[in-house]
Amino acid sequence: MRSWLADNHIRFLLFANLAILIVAALVSGGQFLDPYNFQSMAKQLPEIALLAMAVMFAMISGGGGIDLSVVGVANLSAIAAGLVAKSVAPNNGVEFTVVFVVVALLVGTICGLINGLLIARAGFAPILATLGTQLVFVGLGVALSGGPAVSLGYVEPFVEIGNGSLLGIPVPFIIFTIIVALVAWVLARTRFGFRLYLTGTNAKAAYFTGINTPTILIFTYTLCGVLSSVAGILIASGASSAKWDYGTSYLLIAILIAVMGGINPDGGYGKVTGLVLSGIALQMLSSALNLAGLSNFLKDFMWGLLLILSIIFTSAWTRLGFAPRRRDTS
Amino acid sequence: MKRKAIWIAAGLAALAVGVTGIVLAQKKYTIVTVVKITGINWFNRMEEGVKQYAKDTGNNATQTGPAQADAAQQLKLIQDLVAKKPDAIAVVPFDPATLEPVLKQALDRGIKVITHEADNQVNTLYDIEAFDNVAFGARLNERLAKCMGGSGKWTVFVGSLGSKTHNQWADGGIANAKKHSGMQLVDAKQETADDAEKAYQKAKEILKKYPDIKGFQGSASTDVAGIGRAIEEAGLNDKVCVFGTSLPSIAGKYIETGAVDGIGFWDPKDAGIVMNKVAQMVLEGKKITDGMDLGVKGYEKVSVTKGAGQGFIIRGNAFVDVDKSNLKDYNF
Repeated sequence: MRSWLADNHIRFLLFANLAILIVAALVSGGQFLDPYNFQSMAKQLPEIALLAMAVMFAMISGGGGIDLSVVGVANLSAIAAGLVAKSVAPNNGVEFTVVFVVVALLVGTICGLINGLLIARAGFAPILATLGTQLVFVGLGVALSGGPAVSLGYVEPFVEIGNGSLLGIPVPFIIFTIIVALVAWVLARTRFGFRLYLTGTNAKAAYFTGINTPTILIFTYTLCGVLSSVAGILIASGASSAKWDYGTSYLLIAILIAVMGGINPDGGYGKVTGLVLSGIALQMLSSALNLAGLSNFLKDFMWGLLLILSIIFTSAWTRLGFAPRRRDTS
Repeated sequence: MKRKAIWIAAGLAALAVGVTGIVLAQKKYTIVTVVKITGINWFNRMEEGVKQYAKDTGNNATQTGPAQADAAQQLKLIQDLVAKKPDAIAVVPFDPATLEPVLKQALDRGIKVITHEADNQVNTLYDIEAFDNVAFGARLNERLAKCMGGSGKWTVFVGSLGSKTHNQWADGGIANAKKHSGMQLVDAKQETADDAEKAYQKAKEILKKYPDIKGFQGSASTDVAGIGRAIEEAGLNDKVCVFGTSLPSIAGKYIETGAVDGIGFWDPKDAGIVMNKVAQMVLEGKKITDGMDLGVKGYEKVSVTKGAGQGFIIRGNAFVDVDKSNLKDYNF
C-alpha cells in the first residue's frame, strides 16, 4: 500500500476517482450508485482498458514505443475468428466458442509478432511500423468480411463472455481482473518484466549488460497483439458481431488512458495499477455524463481536461499537490 | 498537499455542477432518442423534431448520440442508458447487428425500444421506415419521366450493387419507366462507390457514348452532384433531366443552376417526431395497426408488417420532393 501511494500519478488518480464518484452521485441524485450502473460500467471498461494495456507494454519498451495497430488487431482477430468458427462449428455452441477464442488469440499473436519483427529486426520506428500494419490489418478485415459486420448470432456460451455475469459481476470484468493480476505479476515479479523496464529505460545499456533487447521487443509487441485480440473477443461477444470499423475511436482513448495512468511514453516506467485507475476514471466520467443526459462532446472535453489536470498535478515542474517534493527526483 | 486537494475538489465540483446545472423537471415519460452521430446536419434536423415533440406533449424527450461516428461508442452510450432506465429509447443504429445484445438487455429491463432505418433489427418493438424503397424509386422515376416528356434514353446509377436500398430504388425506377413506352433504359446500374468524382466520370462516359441521352437517375446522395457537374460542363442544363436521392446540402448548388432538376429524400425531423410518438403509444399500451394515422405528414396511413424479430416494421409515405422552388425550406 505504501509503495502504491508513493507514485504521484496513482495518488492523483485515486483522488480523481473519488471526486468523480462523489460528484456523479450527488448530481445524478444517487442514480449513479445504482448497482446496475456499476455493472454496466464494469462491462464497458475491459475492452478499452485491454487496448490501453497493449499500448502500455509498447510504451514501457521504450525507443518511442507505441502500438497504433491495437484496434486493427482486435477487429481482424474477431472477424477471422468469427468466419472460421461459423464454418467449423456452426451448430455446437461450446465448440464455436473454443474455436473462436483460439483463432482470435492465434491471429492476435501473429499480428503482434509481425509488429515485433518489423520493429526489432527490420529496425522500423514503432510509430511507423504499427501505423503501417494498422492499415494492413484493417484492410485484411475489410477484405475478409467484405465490408458489412460478420454477424455471429446468439450462440449460448459465447455471448456470455461479453454479456454474462457471475454473482452479479460481469464476465468481461472477471476476465479483465485476471489479466490485470497476471500483467502486474509479469511486470513486477518476472525476469521478463525486469528486462522490459531496463530495455525501456536505456536500450543500449540494457544490451551491453547482456539483455537480448530485440527478443524482449519482439515478445513485448507479440504480447500487445495477444492483449488486443482478447479485447477483440470481448468486443465481438458483447456486440455478437465483428466489424472492421468497430471501435475506430478507441485508439486515442487507449493512448489517453495509458499516459494518464502514468505510463512514461519515453519508456522504462509505468504501472498497471495506474492504468486501471485511469481507465476507471474515464469510464465513470463517461457514464456519469450519459446518466446526466449531457452531450457526448462534453465527454471528450472532460477527458481532455482530466488528462491536463493529471499532467499539471503530477509534474515535478509545477510542484503542485501530488508532485514529488523536490525537483531532483525528475 | 491538503490545500491543493481542496482546490482540485472544488474545481471539479464546480465544473460538474456547472455543466449539469440544468436539472430537467420530471415529466410524464422519459424518451431518449439515440442517433448515429451528434453534430451533423441530418441529425440536427432530427433533433428539431424531438424538441418539437417534447414541447407539444410535455414528455421528457431528448436526443443524444456519440461524438464520433463509431458503432462502439453508440453501443456504450446505449449501455449507459440501459442503466439509467428511461421509459423508452428510440435508436437510429449505426450498425443494427452490433446493437442486438444491448437492445435485448434494454427490452429485458423493461425499456421500450423503437428503431429507425433498421428493418433487419431483431430486438426492437417497432422499426420505422420513412417509405417503401421500391415506391420511392418509382416516384423519383416518375418525376424524371415527366421532365423527359415520357420518352428518350435514360440511365440509373447506384452507389454499389451490394447496397440493398440503392438497388431497390433503382429497380423501382426501372419498373416505373416501363409504364412509358418511349423511355429507353441504357447501361443500367453503373456503380459510383458513393463518390461524386466517380459519378462525374461515369456521367461523362455516358454522355460521350449516348449523346442523345435525356435522363439520369441517381441513388447515392453524391450521384446527382457528380452527374450535375458533368451536365454543367457539357452545357446541357436544359436538355438533360437529372433526378436522384440526395440532400439539399449536397445537391443544392446544382439545383440552383438547373443542372440537377430535382431530388428526393425523407425529412429526419418528421422521423424524429414519429419515433417518439410511437414510443409514447407503446408506453400507453396502444398497438400500431395497418393503415393507422400517426398524425405526422407522410405518416397518415402507415403500413405495418412483421419485422425480423418479435417486433413490427412501420412504413410511411414520407417522401420529400425538392426542386428549385422549395430548396430554401430545407437546411440540411
